[in-house]
Amino acid sequence: MAQDSVGFSSDYQFWMQKLSLWDQASTLETQKDTCLHLPRFQEFLRQMYEVLKEMDSNMIIERFPTIGQLLAKTCWNPFILAFDESQKILLWCLCCLINKEPQNSEELKLNSWTRGLLSHVLSAFKFDTKEVGLFIQGLGYAPADYYPGLLKNMVLSLVSELRENHLNGFNTQRRMAPEKIRFLSRVCVPLVTLPDIQPLVEALLTYHGHEPQEVLWPEFFDAVNEAFLLKKISLPTSAVICLWLRHLPSLEKATLHLFEKLISSERNFLRRIECFLKDSLLPEAACYPAIFRIVDEMFRYALLETDGAPEVLAAIQVFTWCFVEALEKQNKQLKFTLKTYFPYASPSLVMVLLQHPKDIPQKLWHQPLKHISEMLREIVEDQTHGSYGGPFECWFLFIHFGGWADIAAEQLVMSEAEPPEALLWLLAFSHSPRDRSQQRAQTMVEVKAVLSHLKKLLRSPTLSARDLQAAAAESQDRDPRPPSCQQLIRHLLLNFLLWAPGGHAIAREVITLMAPTDELSHEIAGFLDQTLYRWDRLCLEAPRSRKLARELLAELHAHIQHRPAAHGAAVHATGSPRSRDETMRLIHRGTSSEDEP
Amino acid sequence: MESLLQHFERFSEVLAVSRTTHVRTWDPATVRRALQWARYLRHVHRRFGRHARIRMALERRLQNQWRLEGGSGSSPVPGLTNFQALERCDLLLSLRLLENRALGDAAYHYLLQELFPGPGVPDADPETLQGSLARLARCRSAVHLLRLSGYGENSVLEEDSVLKTQAELLLARLREVPKAEAEGPSRFLSILWERLPQNNFLKVIAAALLLPPSSPRPQEEELEPGTPKTLADGDQELVRWLLTKSDAMAAFCRNLPAGLLTSVAGRHPELSRVYLGLLLDWARHLHYDLQKGIWIGTEFQHVPWEELYGKFQSLCQAPPPLKDDVLAALESCKAKDGDFQVRGLSIWTDLLLALGCGS
Repeated sequence: MAQDSVGFSSDYQFWMQKLSLWDQASTLETQKDTCLHLPRFQEFLRQMYEVLKEMDSNMIIERFPTIGQLLAKTCWNPFILAFDESQKILLWCLCCLINKEPQNSEELKLNSWTRGLLSHVLSAFKFDTKEVGLFIQGLGYAPADYYPGLLKNMVLSLVSELRENHLNGFNTQRRMAPEKIRFLSRVCVPLVTLPDIQPLVEALLTYHGHEPQEVLWPEFFDAVNEAFLLKKISLPTSAVICLWLRHLPSLEKATLHLFEKLISSERNFLRRIECFLKDSLLPEAACYPAIFRIVDEMFRYALLETDGAPEVLAAIQVFTWCFVEALEKQNKQLKFTLKTYFPYASPSLVMVLLQHPKDIPQKLWHQPLKHISEMLREIVEDQTHGSYGGPFECWFLFIHFGGWADIAAEQLVMSEAEPPEALLWLLAFSHSPRDRSQQRAQTMVEVKAVLSHLKKLLRSPTLSARDLQAAAAESQDRDPRPPSCQQLIRHLLLNFLLWAPGGHAIAREVITLMAPTDELSHEIAGFLDQTLYRWDRLCLEAPRSRKLARELLAELHAHIQHRPAAHGAAVHATGSPRSRDETMRLIHRGTSSEDEP
Repeated sequence: MESLLQHFERFSEVLAVSRTTHVRTWDPATVRRALQWARYLRHVHRRFGRHARIRMALERRLQNQWRLEGGSGSSPVPGLTNFQALERCDLLLSLRLLENRALGDAAYHYLLQELFPGPGVPDADPETLQGSLARLARCRSAVHLLRLSGYGENSVLEEDSVLKTQAELLLARLREVPKAEAEGPSRFLSILWERLPQNNFLKVIAAALLLPPSSPRPQEEELEPGTPKTLADGDQELVRWLLTKSDAMAAFCRNLPAGLLTSVAGRHPELSRVYLGLLLDWARHLHYDLQKGIWIGTEFQHVPWEELYGKFQSLCQAPPPLKDDVLAALESCKAKDGDFQVRGLSIWTDLLLALGCGS
């Protein structure tokens, strides 16, 4: 407790100095400084109230002799009064000073003085002129009726001035001076969460002047962005996009905010990820290539820093789905070439990847798959083809459209024919991009072997879990399979369970055999969720497979819930768990902005 | 029902007293009772908002009271004018008490405790007084901050906002004036004309007459079965009143800036006719001074040439049909006068020449 009060005393001194410096915040410097400190000062006021409410009026004066000065200076700073809840907390503090039975003239004076301050805060800055005051009162109205209406009208007139400004262009008479616009943006910082001000904020964001430099104050963008991310202000999408286009740090913060939500949300719920993404407005904003490139860059960092964490992969995939959807809706208005979104990728590859499988009959899916595989292989294996980036770039592009890899796996398992080389290569590449060609060839051989076993079992009338286990078993006389290969095989087995007629009966047994650890349970749940999500998007029927997948997923979730130790763990590529916070820290490190205070 | 109406009346008295020094005698218990009544009436508003019968009965009682008091007392408007006002009666009472220096310390202390319970109290009422008061304080700071933004350079815009807000309030009040008699609004306006600073009042009327045609009425003001069908809009009432009150109309046309008058005339043809008539009348009072070579009036209250010219000039810059009507009137006067072409003989000729429209 003693430490608290020491801390509080030094805070008190600090803020007393600041308030004296700011005075009534009438200069640019004082306004800037005030705005920077608004949230922290509000916190201090809250703490102050907690201290004051335990004491009576005399004790307060004894303990804090200068409190009157502190509160008075606060009252006279319009920026503080305008911010969030500061005026409310200030009122609470003032109430603590009122003595209900003043005994002597000093106490009476204090009461009178405090009442004056209270009156000032509540009826601050009396009626503009006497005439107006008489008029309003003559009509039987009170300031409470007048001021909200006045604010609304002032905002309307400022908004129309800003818009006219924009339309009038070079008509210098009507033009609003840049200094005034800048000032307005400064003044909006404390007011950003007041609903009446929202039209002005919107007008400022969408204002395009003729000055070469940004005319709005950077802290304005920060404040609006914060309020938007915390859902304290509602803005139309176009205004938010303007904000991000004009102020890069805001876009970065918004993306990081999204990442935090995605990482901390329940794993394995792609639908929820989709909701978060759409809510964040980032996919829509990404229709502007500049924004897309920045967000994509941040995804790339996240992927690298977390060594390919499955959540990040899933998020990239869903983001791309949402982005493509938004792009299609925008088709008439924005016309950017694909190259502006994916400057380092081969345009023909991008075109093929962008195709929606829904638009192609299922029987013909192997065609684009082969095409994709061939193009990727050409780029990856051809050392001299430097312009389209190395294997990582290719892979990064490919996993945006990761659905294709999953489709390839399904196709391989379901078809009776010989597995095509191209598809095998594609699968091996998508699970393990860094392999050398020898390793990859090895993987392809293993997969081919497993597939041939599975095809035999496909026709077998009596199917048992043991059979499946045998089919997937590693051969003793070769090197053990690397983890990415194991994962690939697991996915093939799961596909088999979902599609093979006999698979349903043995599904649970097989999964129990396959998933002794929590990480594997998470992985399998992730696979099932992703599969169901993909089927929804492709409007695939398959009722029996769907039912099985849903049931298995539900069971796995229930199983995972009962194991709190593993709850919320992100899986490292090699299988060791990592906590949520660690994941976020890695992402922050990779994407840190330079403007740390 | 009767007890409800009694509550109503009692509270209206309390509201009236809350502004006076009589509150010196109030103790915390009195404040508590007053706040309880206010809270009860707010509850009534919420509960009976949809019950037309009760609403109408209450409104009728209020309007009767207004009619009886009609203009006596410090304000031409009672504290509670209609059912809608019940929604904020506690806010109204609280603000009046908070600003009343005559309220004793003990009572004031109690009032503060009631109004500002602090952070921990769960808000049973979604719109608590605490929240409303804080929002009001924030709103005023917002106005102040926006004003700081160098409005001074363009003070016309600010003045416009202030006038526009007053105009909206005036029209809102006009809608509430006892409607049973057709002259209710006119009488009310006359009272205002006598009590309020006239220059401001006229400017507000002009602003009201220029407001965009009609904002949709709030839902609570649906027409009820008893009201007369000839429910005119607020601005029609204003026009009607101006047309009947000649001294107000004269002051209106004399004191307001020419440009403003032209806009009003453009919107309201009945007013433009009277305006034009007044201008022509004023012009007739001037005679030509041969020595000075200018048109002057004989008496102090005659409108000087510059002013007349300014008003006519503004009218001639208006879009048709106003401009055409004005010119036609001037031409017709000139013809009646003898159709002189030379200066100094007929004021109409001189005006037309000065306006650049003479032939």
